[in-house]
Amino acid sequence: MKSPEPENFGAHSRRTFLKTLGTAAVTAAAARAQSVAAELEMANAEKTVGPGAVPVTLKVNGETLKLMLEPRVTLLDALRNYSSLTGAKEGCDRAACGACTVLLDDLPIYSCQKLAIEAQGREITTVEGLAKNGKLTGVQQAFWDKDALQCGYCTPGFIMSVTALLKKNPHPTAEEVKHACAGNLCRCGTHPHIMRAVFQAAGVAASGLTKTEVMDYA
Amino acid sequence: MPSWPANPKYIGQSTTRVDAAAKVTGRAHYSSDIQADGWLYGMILRSKWPAAKILSVNLDKALQVPGIKAAVTARNGEFTVRFYGEEIAAVAGTTKQACLDALRAIEVKAEPSPEFVVNENEALKDNAPKVWEGRPNATPGRSREQGNVDKAFSECAAVIEGFYTTPVQLHHPMETHGSTASWTDDGLTAWTSTQGISSVRDGLTGALKLDHSQVRVITDFMGGGFGSKFGAGAEGVLAARLSHEAKVPVRLMLTRFDEALAVGNRPSSFQKIKIGALADGTLHAFEMNNYGTAGIGAGADSGGGGGGADIPAPYIYKVPNTRVKQTHVAVNAGSARAFRAPGHPPASYGMESAMDDLAAKLGMDPLEFRLKNDSNEVRQREYAIGAEKFGWKAKYRKPGSSPGVVKTGVGCAGAAWGAGGGSNSTQGESQINPDGSVEFRLGVQDIGTGTKTVIAVVAAELLGLKPEQITVKVGDTNFPPGPGSGGSTTCASVSPTVYDICTKALQQLQTQSGVADARGDNWFAACKKLGVTPLVVHGNWLEGLSSRPAYGVQFAEVVVDTETGLVTVKKMVAVHDCGLLIDKLTLESQVNGGIIMGMGYALYEERVMDNLSGVVLNPNFETYKLPGLADVPEIEVVLLNMPERGVIGIGEPATVPTAAAIANAVANAIGVRVGSLPITPAKVLAALGKVPPPTASPA
Amino acid sequence: MKAFEYATALSTDSARQLVTDQGMYLAGGNDLLGLLKEYLVSSPNIVVNIKSLPGLNKIESGEKFWTIGALVTVAQIEDNAEIKKVFPGLHDAASEVGSQQIRNVATVGGNLSQHSRCWYFRQRDTVCLKKNGDLCYARDGENRYHSLFTGNTCISPVVSNLATVFTALDAAAIVLRDGKETRVSMAELYQKAWDNPLAHNSLNLGDLILRVEIPTTRTSSAYLQASDKHAFDWALVSCAAAADFAGGKLSQPRVALGCISPVPHQVQAANDFLDGKTLDDATVSQAADLILKDAQPHQHNGYKVPLAHALICRTLLKLKG
Repeated sequence: MKSPEPENFGAHSRRTFLKTLGTAAVTAAAARAQSVAAELEMANAEKTVGPGAVPVTLKVNGETLKLMLEPRVTLLDALRNYSSLTGAKEGCDRAACGACTVLLDDLPIYSCQKLAIEAQGREITTVEGLAKNGKLTGVQQAFWDKDALQCGYCTPGFIMSVTALLKKNPHPTAEEVKHACAGNLCRCGTHPHIMRAVFQAAGVAASGLTKTEVMDYA
Repeated sequence: MPSWPANPKYIGQSTTRVDAAAKVTGRAHYSSDIQADGWLYGMILRSKWPAAKILSVNLDKALQVPGIKAAVTARNGEFTVRFYGEEIAAVAGTTKQACLDALRAIEVKAEPSPEFVVNENEALKDNAPKVWEGRPNATPGRSREQGNVDKAFSECAAVIEGFYTTPVQLHHPMETHGSTASWTDDGLTAWTSTQGISSVRDGLTGALKLDHSQVRVITDFMGGGFGSKFGAGAEGVLAARLSHEAKVPVRLMLTRFDEALAVGNRPSSFQKIKIGALADGTLHAFEMNNYGTAGIGAGADSGGGGGGADIPAPYIYKVPNTRVKQTHVAVNAGSARAFRAPGHPPASYGMESAMDDLAAKLGMDPLEFRLKNDSNEVRQREYAIGAEKFGWKAKYRKPGSSPGVVKTGVGCAGAAWGAGGGSNSTQGESQINPDGSVEFRLGVQDIGTGTKTVIAVVAAELLGLKPEQITVKVGDTNFPPGPGSGGSTTCASVSPTVYDICTKALQQLQTQSGVADARGDNWFAACKKLGVTPLVVHGNWLEGLSSRPAYGVQFAEVVVDTETGLVTVKKMVAVHDCGLLIDKLTLESQVNGGIIMGMGYALYEERVMDNLSGVVLNPNFETYKLPGLADVPEIEVVLLNMPERGVIGIGEPATVPTAAAIANAVANAIGVRVGSLPITPAKVLAALGKVPPPTASPA
Repeated sequence: MKAFEYATALSTDSARQLVTDQGMYLAGGNDLLGLLKEYLVSSPNIVVNIKSLPGLNKIESGEKFWTIGALVTVAQIEDNAEIKKVFPGLHDAASEVGSQQIRNVATVGGNLSQHSRCWYFRQRDTVCLKKNGDLCYARDGENRYHSLFTGNTCISPVVSNLATVFTALDAAAIVLRDGKETRVSMAELYQKAWDNPLAHNSLNLGDLILRVEIPTTRTSSAYLQASDKHAFDWALVSCAAAADFAGGKLSQPRVALGCISPVPHQVQAANDFLDGKTLDDATVSQAADLILKDAQPHQHNGYKVPLAHALICRTLLKLKG
């Protein structure tokens, strides 16, 4: 299911668009990702597109994806089925489990409940975009070290939520962690280890959610 | 006689998972991530009727939807559907959107029947609609007796009667069921999310009339199963058929909606228990009448069995005089399938609730009551350890005597899991390369338990290497076969097998290389002597390195707000044994996971059916509630290392007594029993007598 | 979802034009996309993105009243330190909406106008009264989450946390209707759902919530909800209270309950009773009795009566700070 390069799509590319805006606008626009999104929307605004596939450009993990998508295609669907970014998972497709969590600029969202066409002009980060040059982030390493994963299916979603949390709040309390991760479900029961992992990534001693002791029976 | 090393370096320590890097980077590919060349999206059309005769299924319009490349009906000719969600047809197309449109274009001519029933108690009534024509909904049931129970009750100093019920619980693994199916001239390859590649292959060959040699099943990573993913399933066969028709691979994964309808569940239980003890607290008489539903039928498409509604009673307790009667009652709902410790969590809940209720009548501390009546030496030890860690003596108070609006309570329960031990048909192989790299290949599945890591740890131990030097590959029917990953047998299956492989590998390597002891520091030199040809060594499961059963006890401390009914589990203490500990880290994860799943069973989970329409009302995570991070209590785990018993499993015993312990803690807190899971605020308030009767008018 | 056209509106006029009578506005998308995925609404032929409408995404403080634009996200409300100080009840209500992922995209306007969460309404195959069917399945069926008060046969309650707290704060929504701005109290915003089983609220086709205005009259506010789980769970009952606290006595108190009626449930007699009183256990309990006096429990939702009673008492006492 590869989408062909649309013709004449260059006119809508961000680079061309910013060139026509002029330098001052580029600075202002570059200063806040959200306003670039707004500017992009302005350029396309009020034009009815669809219901068939239309060109949709997504900036994911710093790379540009040029896709042909119907307006009803969700961001999750675009990532998993129209490109090779299968890191975000489909757990429920109903904004209830968090397996599809990605970052839109710095905000964790459910990619299953976001139309891909509306994610244009934003910086999308998926789990594949975290490690730079093969070096895992502190959060990824912490999940590994603390065994905060079992089957691993909820893991990308949790990692994105925790990554966003620690960027916003580098030293969260246990309550704040629970609040930030309430939207991520795990069926295997990794929660206690996730708490440990978050505290490791935050660089603070874990306020033990679990303790394990090995005793000899004899 | 083989034996585990006396002072192991890795066995019993904490080793991080060998596949953690893949999982934290998104590089781990599950069946739902496979993107084979030219792949199509597959989707299933399900019955919206709980009972109907399907007269015809017309796929013409569906096939005309742009992007659709194949469409098949689930069955040929006229057929009957017996539950909401039963498979009717399936399509494959270039996009999810095409499939959604195609499903809506399928024309189904059906005669829906008003004769259906989805509630167990309704199904038991004489004039209830029949789920299967000509057959009563309730099986005649099984009955067994020991001693003279009626006489025994008259001899008891204290007798209680209770009614304890548990709901239908859904597995809800985070990755849904499904597969990516792909055909070549040699046959079918199915990347399946499964716990049993061999049973999937068996199912596919049967349904598609192929030879075993023509079907390959692969499960490198899979997102949980908990017992529901053993067979090929309707979805596995449909994916293969669609792929065959379309002549390209088809990825067909179920939706979360489907998961609530058609791929298994834990049967409900309605346990009427009467239990009595002598004046000194010895259990003397026990009677139980239990019924539950396994949907349209245990075994019917239960893909692996174990879906029965029977439960062991009186569970772990020996009572000299017993009478136990159990029946299954069919309803128009999806069939049950084995679900993490089948039968045991409901059995534990009913029995341990009755134990606490009887202890209360006797005026006895429920822990003392258990120690008096549970002669199992391991559990006696575990209770002692757990009680001390938990602070039982300081925390225990008579039921309901906790002061104030927000009450604290404590409870405990025990477990036994006899189905552990290893599968003696497990095989595996190892390839040792001249450069010293080594790969193990076993046809088992890692369902999140850490099987790959266990293999690496055992191999590293025996070869004198580090776990990260061991490459582990599992989940391919091209590898030497292993058992399905269930019954808490996997660790005990692979560990002895890896032991055998290593023993043979060292023998052969040493012989070929002339190096007397090829382990550890000598490894690379010995391997170099292989020249250009790797050494491939096959091994089998060995007797004497594993055993069964496992036990376990758990303690729960809860806080109950008697004005809102909200139950908060404050702390769990779990003391478990599983013989020789292989990896403390993954073991702890298993125990945590079992406890959290048991907590969900105790407080939140329940499949809700609507009597009038026959539909599942909560086919989603919004109203089928799973424990979240904010619900999880402090958990303290004690693992009893018993190396002389060899390797045993832990996955199931860890979830057996949790709901019982929590339910007992709630009863202890508020002084009255909520005899029905899940223990919701509504039920707590009702038990406290605070709920007014209905006054609203009906529809 | 069925296929649809998509357009981004840059003005409220063009939004109305683009949405026609067959389209739907798209803000955060939590509710709309959920409805579309289950084919619960006669699928719109066009979805109109209103997130670019100018001037609707600001939080503005004021001496007499604050203004919260309809496009302000629930997360922005939760993160706003000033709101936490001035309207703590609003902060708490916002913090309990869904999960972080939901709050990051959910808008005030969307939260207020969200459709019923009744599981018969949300079930794709039960054609209930609200979907133009013949029957309210919940009345004789599974009604544990449903209303204690109702004006018509449908017993689906309003579940918006923000509606509950806005009611207590006597906030009003400013709705653009037929090109004119109309002031709509919370009671008015949901009145139609009380009268008409087909309605989720009083918004007409093409109506657009522009902003919510919150008077600063009441210096104290509090919000509490009770759920089965400890987080990310719809409230079984939600409660908000707001009042001015001059000399330890309540002035202009308002108490509202969510999840027990199609409209945020408020009883003026209870507000009147509380006016001028000091907060103590006996007083708040009496107020709760007044608020719940005419509750009509169904087979499975009677627990909401004692639950609501407890929440009312606690929420009022929380006003003391």
